[in-house]
Amino acid sequence: MNTVLSRANSLFAFSLSVMAALTFGCFITTAFKDRRVPVDIHVSRVMLKNVDDFTGPRERSDLGFITFDLSADILLIDPIFDWNVKQLFLYLSAEYATRNNALNQVVLWDKIVLRGESTKLILRDMKSKYFFFDDGNGLRANKNITLTLSWNVVPNAGILPLVAGHGHVSLPFPESYETTRSY
Amino acid sequence: MLSIFKSIPTHMDYKGQKLAEQIFQGIILVSAAIGFIYGLIIEQFGWTVYIVLAGFAVSCVLTLPPWPMYRKNPLNWQPAVPETSCEPSQKPQENAPKKKKHK
Repeated sequence: MNTVLSRANSLFAFSLSVMAALTFGCFITTAFKDRRVPVDIHVSRVMLKNVDDFTGPRERSDLGFITFDLSADILLIDPIFDWNVKQLFLYLSAEYATRNNALNQVVLWDKIVLRGESTKLILRDMKSKYFFFDDGNGLRANKNITLTLSWNVVPNAGILPLVAGHGHVSLPFPESYETTRSY
Repeated sequence: MLSIFKSIPTHMDYKGQKLAEQIFQGIILVSAAIGFIYGLIIEQFGWTVYIVLAGFAVSCVLTLPPWPMYRKNPLNWQPAVPETSCEPSQKPQENAPKKKKHK
């Protein structure tokens, strides 16, 4: 501590240790919070096609198209954004069982909600963002396909909790394919 | 150019060093406590970081330069012994006991 450099060194190291302790304190204050919010999902339209899937090994696979509505109460979402939340990552996934595979989960749509943006989560007639390909032909006449909205709370410090949404909707898929006409 | 920086005296005596360390630890802890509570109230962690950085800047100004308050208890060195001719003969006698200790 006799020279400026050695004083500066110990001052800086002390500040960093204190900063690390504060960050841990920030994590601890929000670690045990319940972050589930009930969500309403409603599907308005389902269409099924059988097309060539160039990413997979087989000849033709089932491709589903879903149009859905999503709504969640704003007053319940706002408390989720506390001082340890940077953004929310929402995604809608479909879960079902087929003859080939016992469990399939496909992500259809996602959205990032930054802190400070409006948390208005009322969406109507949304189309899926990603292709709903099945591994084979298991979507036709499938009795039960469950859509759930889950979200990831991305924090400033600490663990990333993955919260399953409260709302989910199950629907059967149509029995027959729709054929596209080529001219 | 470096010799200019090295020639500026920046020493503090021991009591001054202890005082400086207490001062900066106290300032940073106080600013950390204030910052944590303020950030918790307004729900923004950025303000906590800003307040701690402000505390760091204040303690830099207070403890890095050698202010006179850190030089209140100077060490009293022995007066310098003038070099005489008997000194070179003392050195080989000092080396001999050291060699015996190594064995």
